[in-house]
Amino acid sequence: MNGGLRGAAWLLAAWCATTPAFAQDSERSRYYIQQMIELAATNDEAGVTAMQRMLEQEPRPAPRDPGAARAALQRGQAALRTDDLNAALTAFQQASRDDPGNADAVNHLGLVERKLGRLPDAERDLQRALALEPSRASAWFQLAQVYGLSQDGRRARGALANTYRFAQNPMRAEEILRNIAESEASDTLRTAAVETLRLYRLPVEVVIVPPLPANPGIVPLRTAPASGQRP
Amino acid sequence: MTSRLALLALLVLLAGPLPADAGQYETLDYHIQQMIAQSAVNDEAGVQTFREQLDNLPRPEAGDAAQAQPLFQQGLDSLNRNQPKEALSALRQAFIADPTDAETAGQLGLTYLRLGRLKEAERLLVYTLALAPARSASWLHLGQVYGQGGDATRAAGAFANAYRFAQDRPRLAGQLRQLAATDPVDTVRAGAAQALRPGQSTPASQAPPAVKATPAADPPAPAAPTAASPSARTADPAANAPPTGGALLDSLRRGLSNLAKPANTSVPNADLRPMSTAVGDNAGQQIYQNSIPRTCLIVTFRNGKTDSLGSGLLVSADGLVVTNHHVIENADNLAVKCGERESVARVGKRSKEPDLALLTTTLNRVDGFVLNGTYSQELIGLDVFVIGNPYGLEGTFSTGVISGLREIDGVRYLQISAPISPGNSGGPVILRDGSVIGIATMGLKKGQNLNFAIATAELIRSGLFDPSRMKTSAARGKSP
Repeated sequence: MNGGLRGAAWLLAAWCATTPAFAQDSERSRYYIQQMIELAATNDEAGVTAMQRMLEQEPRPAPRDPGAARAALQRGQAALRTDDLNAALTAFQQASRDDPGNADAVNHLGLVERKLGRLPDAERDLQRALALEPSRASAWFQLAQVYGLSQDGRRARGALANTYRFAQNPMRAEEILRNIAESEASDTLRTAAVETLRLYRLPVEVVIVPPLPANPGIVPLRTAPASGQRP
Repeated sequence: MTSRLALLALLVLLAGPLPADAGQYETLDYHIQQMIAQSAVNDEAGVQTFREQLDNLPRPEAGDAAQAQPLFQQGLDSLNRNQPKEALSALRQAFIADPTDAETAGQLGLTYLRLGRLKEAERLLVYTLALAPARSASWLHLGQVYGQGGDATRAAGAFANAYRFAQDRPRLAGQLRQLAATDPVDTVRAGAAQALRPGQSTPASQAPPAVKATPAADPPAPAAPTAASPSARTADPAANAPPTGGALLDSLRRGLSNLAKPANTSVPNADLRPMSTAVGDNAGQQIYQNSIPRTCLIVTFRNGKTDSLGSGLLVSADGLVVTNHHVIENADNLAVKCGERESVARVGKRSKEPDLALLTTTLNRVDGFVLNGTYSQELIGLDVFVIGNPYGLEGTFSTGVISGLREIDGVRYLQISAPISPGNSGGPVILRDGSVIGIATMGLKKGQNLNFAIATAELIRSGLFDPSRMKTSAARGKSP
């Protein structure tokens, strides 16, 4: 089956599965995002793309006061640069209220919530940001950290896989993943990064090494094993 | 609704998984490989064509150079002080901050090369050269990567590009001559020599006599295990010859003759010596003498050739040997040598979690180790002794203490400070009373002497073999 047919199959499958189940747009969007995570964790490119297309067809919330939202966004970014997380939180909340369709504002809100350890809020708002812009790698990365901190390894891996998938510079994303895989204190996130790198067949040197690698120092022998010795 | 679900199931089934498609890196790599291939045949025009194509590819988005600069400097300083691990940390951060700086990417690639992480080094150097195709130093390093990976042809092509793009060609020729003469890896020497030959872009007159040192086609040096690099394997025509027959044990014996052996492993009648027999006053010496006949070297064979080796321990009088699952998981055939006795082996049982396997052998006249099923905080601080075959160094004996108890993914481990290396896997971790308290399994690459052994308690609990065939004890660290 080619990619087009596969994608169409996924779109139809998603429609079949979701149409009767959800009453609200946000619920449906969250479903698609969770599907993107699940499918990314198994490297199902066509499935991820199909869900991304579904998300992109969802209606966007109308802005209430775009000018005020932009100003609040700038205030939040300035506060974030000085590490004033509470001020940043207030500003980004304001920005996302004034323009709920502004992915940048909602993404920053999720970021600050994650930094403040408000993980359920962060998960909700990062999913909102991804519903507005499913290919936003930085939101996937933040979401992966939320799942990592919540000890949800599978979803952390799926979110990291999407981080890499949507990264503008894959080599940079690869190094970020290697950095997490080799230096991150959280077992869940570190393992998720290792698994993501392996998912994409990218090299990684894990910190704890089960198993130890095969001995490279042995000299090859030139005779065949005796027949009938297979275990 | 039922029909809708059926349709859904069918569609999901049809959709199936797809691998991720070729990405940006593959595109960059294609061009770099073409430049290497054209360079290897000294096709100047071809090299320039692909260089121009690289120049026309879209550039990555610029990063934060101001943030990257101090990190880069810090990494460079560490690299100059020969501290590649510290350099890796700083240069990686610099690269993440600004992935468009070829200098940073190139130094990161070099750091990976210094750390022996050839795959990462290759990727970073290819990326660097895509950013700056005329960066001679990165071509030189990429040549070393390919050479160390056993690919003399690509090494030669990359070295030739290093020379082609060098601003100071005499200096680069000197570097190539040095590589051709002194690099410890055959294929690096061969690649550099090839790049220096007449007909390459490097001037023939500069080809040094030192190239004669060791051509890649020479047979690999025997004896020391470090001499058997992957490149040596490919260079050895007999290594890839079709099987000529012969017994597995003969293979084992010949293989063992090539490994570094301890100066004196033969203890007279050691096979029949009871565990408690004292050999000397030194506890370590006694433990070594009593344990070496029960400690095994495990050689695995795959596709008719020796694949890897590990360690194991005799656990019963009828020849059962325990090792790690990962030691034998890819083996077609197995041979073991416990003390001075050798046998073929079959896998009796295996388990990935915990990482254990039970082998059956014909070594049935030696008492096995006493297994110690204790797993409690009281173990922490006790002396332990490890015997194994790290890097083929048969019967290596090391000591340490139990540093902690760790449970990883539901498996109980002992953290030990005794040094272990590849080849120790599956070997015994022994208390002062001669009982086995753990099976050496893995280590933390960072830090020092942070190693882990599966607790013997886990082996006993695993049901890998009949408890009635074990000799168990709960003694804790008393002198024999």
